[in-house]
Amino acid sequence: MRFYFRYVNPILRTVSTALRVICAVHITNEYFIEITQCMGPSMLPTFNVVGDFVALEHFSPRLRRLEIGDVIVCKSPTNPWRSVCKRIVGMPGDRICIDPTVIHRKFITGDNMSNSTDSRSYGPIPYALIGGKVFARVWPNPCWIKNGLITLEEN
Amino acid sequence: MSQFFSNTAVRTILVTASWIPVAIFCLDHGFTIGSIHGRSMQPTFNPDSNKLCHDIVLLNRAAAITHKYKRGDVVTLYLPDDPDKIIAKRIIALEGDTIFTLPPYSEKCLRIPKGYCWVEGDDTFHSKDSNTFGPVPLGLIRSKVTFILWPFSRFGKVPHIEKPERVSVFLGDVNLLNIFDRRDF
Repeated sequence: MRFYFRYVNPILRTVSTALRVICAVHITNEYFIEITQCMGPSMLPTFNVVGDFVALEHFSPRLRRLEIGDVIVCKSPTNPWRSVCKRIVGMPGDRICIDPTVIHRKFITGDNMSNSTDSRSYGPIPYALIGGKVFARVWPNPCWIKNGLITLEEN
Repeated sequence: MSQFFSNTAVRTILVTASWIPVAIFCLDHGFTIGSIHGRSMQPTFNPDSNKLCHDIVLLNRAAAITHKYKRGDVVTLYLPDDPDKIIAKRIIALEGDTIFTLPPYSEKCLRIPKGYCWVEGDDTFHSKDSNTFGPVPLGLIRSKVTFILWPFSRFGKVPHIEKPERVSVFLGDVNLLNIFDRRDF
């Protein structure tokens, strides 16, 4: 009994605290806000090649509040292990100059159109693959990431 | 303040609340139960002997972490054109395989691109499946359906049914499949 209180009990307490903290962090990352690294040349003017740390929120995709021009992180349709960071270019029902999008599917492209594997190669992506909306760059040069859509006035 | 935290009732509530993320984690990445509606998976789920009851099944969500599936597994996935709906279907073919499709689909046979799979209901005539919306990305799959829990008379493992007569299995290296040879499905 003394052995239990002296050695086993503290270990159990530490393990249970660690478990609860890890799960709380994981749930926050999955449902609320997450900071992740975004690598590769495909988003070049917005994010650099070596890997920017970006902050993303999971509320907008869940509430279906995404718009054209938003930067999102989604699971790659060709490789479920990988997440890709792209910009939404077409929404359900829109006509893209490559092909019309199917209902409830999003058309996404990288900012660096000449070096990006995106909807032009794998087609429109299902909404359910979208994980989060990027709202800020954390490091380097912290700044907010705004919707990049510029509306042209009609004459 | 310290008196507030030393209150037994408050402490109990806080300790219980601190376990909620653990419970959510277990439901998200462990096992959950779900009910199956509709007749697209007859006779595996909701056979006519059920009358109007819905089957209750055990969903293995840990299987969706590794993304390793076999032909013949029953999985739940988001409907590709509606993120609010989750459907249960059987995986017929995996990436690289060539599948002989059924009528609503435009082409007679198709090579499944990298990262995609072909899903169908067991009752092909009453099922909206890959024959209508084409191959689905593996990332859409949420869980594997492993056990039927209710009705109790059919309690047991979900049968594993492959359709070798319609699938030509790909034996090469999946990584060599070119994603650019995807046709518009």
